Amino acid sequence: MSANYAPQTAFGRAINLFEETAIAIILGLMTLLTFANVVMRYVFNSSIFWGFEFTLSLFAWLVLFGMSYAVKVTAHLGVDAVIMMFPNTTRRVFALVAAALCIVYAFLLLKGAWDYWAPFAGFQQTGGRWFPEGFIKTRDQGWYETETIPMPDWLRFIEGSFNQGEAYGKLPRFIPYFMLPFGSALLLFRFVQAGYEIIRGKRESLIVSHEAEDAIKDVSHMNAED
Amino acid sequence: MEIILLFAMVVGFMLIGVPIAVSLGLSSIFFLLMFSDTSLASIAQTLYQAMEGHATLLAIPFFILASSFMSTGGVAKRIIRFAIACVGHLPGGLAIAGVFACMLFAALSGSSPATVVAIGSIVIAAMRQVGYSKDFAAGVICNAGTLGILIPPSIVMVVYASATDVSVGRMFLAGVIPGLLAGFMLMATILVIAIVKNLPKGEWQGWGEIWESFRDAFWGLMLITIIMVGLYGVPGITSGIFTPTEAAAVAAVYAFFVANFIYRDMGPLQNDSGNVALWRRPQSVLTSFFHADTRATLFEAGKLTITLMFIIANALILKHVLTDEQIPQKITESMLGAGLGMITFLIIVNVILLIGGQFMEPSGLILIVAPLVFPIAIELGVDPIHLGIIMVVNMEIGMITPPVGLNLFVTSGVAGMPIMRVVRASLPFLAVLFVFLIMVTYIPILSTWLPTSVMGPETIIK
Repeated sequence: MSANYAPQTAFGRAINLFEETAIAIILGLMTLLTFANVVMRYVFNSSIFWGFEFTLSLFAWLVLFGMSYAVKVTAHLGVDAVIMMFPNTTRRVFALVAAALCIVYAFLLLKGAWDYWAPFAGFQQTGGRWFPEGFIKTRDQGWYETETIPMPDWLRFIEGSFNQGEAYGKLPRFIPYFMLPFGSALLLFRFVQAGYEIIRGKRESLIVSHEAEDAIKDVSHMNAED
Repeated sequence: MEIILLFAMVVGFMLIGVPIAVSLGLSSIFFLLMFSDTSLASIAQTLYQAMEGHATLLAIPFFILASSFMSTGGVAKRIIRFAIACVGHLPGGLAIAGVFACMLFAALSGSSPATVVAIGSIVIAAMRQVGYSKDFAAGVICNAGTLGILIPPSIVMVVYASATDVSVGRMFLAGVIPGLLAGFMLMATILVIAIVKNLPKGEWQGWGEIWESFRDAFWGLMLITIIMVGLYGVPGITSGIFTPTEAAAVAAVYAFFVANFIYRDMGPLQNDSGNVALWRRPQSVLTSFFHADTRATLFEAGKLTITLMFIIANALILKHVLTDEQIPQKITESMLGAGLGMITFLIIVNVILLIGGQFMEPSGLILIVAPLVFPIAIELGVDPIHLGIIMVVNMEIGMITPPVGLNLFVTSGVAGMPIMRVVRASLPFLAVLFVFLIMVTYIPILSTWLPTSVMGPETIIK
């Protein structure tokens, strides 16, 4: 769908379909839930009490899951006015430095995301300030629950390993928070991939200058001649 | 001193082509790791909380979705038809209709580039056909397109409201009069140019055409009514019905409904040789939810949400740094200590935003600048709502100020013209918008009158 990206293999197409569908479904669910809650309030004088918190979690999932997809299809916004003034070789150097910085960012974010998520899932945080230097003993916070989202019964099998066999009253926090390390790992993967593509000469930059770039390509023929 | 290093990193990263979001986030992470004892875990938490902890920002994806359904639903051409029916017969009529259409479309969408693309592609072509020069057409649309972020609903205003804890409803109302004023100033300028230069005028097509085209555009324009009535209620009958987030979600569902079942330009009832009536395919009430077009629109809106929110979330990390280091307080003290007056302060804000607005995505910029200037503004007695409108108008003009304004690039792409030609073409109208900026900056009542009279006087918490 994006003008800059076409998956090459069947596997690539399947992943792409999955990513795009997931983005569409999450946004659709958020909209329907919020709308349903308005209807409930005015028509039935009640509400889906967990709807709001759940929608906000979906919102976080949408962005954290989608940020890596946006790297893949080169949708992240940036400033290209300055790099355009340089010759091709200099631009390539800039692109490589930019990719390296992005990889550093994703790596630090991944460490932070793991350290934040790990206690909620009963795992160990990593030591070290910049670089993970082994695991350190961390207090298990697997009992931490969301405020309103109910615990679905089909998920109860996790109670044994994550909550020492005790029943969860609400959905445990580590489930919504899981997207943080997962999304960061995907982001790191996509930035590494993008950096590799720049080295191989298959990609020129990591950014687009504005969100309507695809749309312009669709309409530019209408006013092409003078 | 360290703070200069921070901003140098942000700007430096951005200029060599690092995505804006990563520039903001990475600079802040470096800064925090070097100069404070904040852990990476708490930075990750800030990123998560940007979405989960900001109920106001939740309005953004819904507004984006509503405008995506509207623009795929072919509402642009209906609005243009209505605009031409209303003002097309005046001297320079098509150009004036272009501005009018941009204003209407701005009320459905929150983005300036989107407005230029949707309205510009059609109107520029139409103007050339009846004998306008391409430069004139591009200049008009390039400027009028910036109204997208000033006329409510506006994503930038949602972000400002969330950054400074003012009410979204007030901000939206505050944008109405300045938005109309800017539009009318542009139209009046065109009218004068048209009379002097004897530009083509269209035929008056009669009240019948106005009514016909209005009826056709009505369902799209209703979206504005739904949002406004939802937020503020019907004066004298009800108070507000929805929160801004709910209004946005209702607008998105409404736009889905209009695009699929009334305009039928997308979804299961769409057909190239004429759209199918609903009673012929009643099952489409269900299938429309799973139709490929619906999925594509949801996905496009989702993608835009992701890129915008990724910038906003990282800008929040930077904001976190600034508050931790008490930068706003320090700047406020030194500025006030230097005897800064209100007028000088407003000029400084103007200059910062005009420069920043050329490079940066407006929502991210506002999240960084708002916390810095907001405390000073409050100390100097500038109204928070007024400050918000000043910031929005500044960024609007930053988008069309040479050398690198964003809208200049968009227009150059849409009109197929080199960037320098667009710059020259848009200069006369840019001058008009500059006058407008000065008016908005120094006449606060333009922004504050409507929100105060509808919602009562605001309470300012220092």
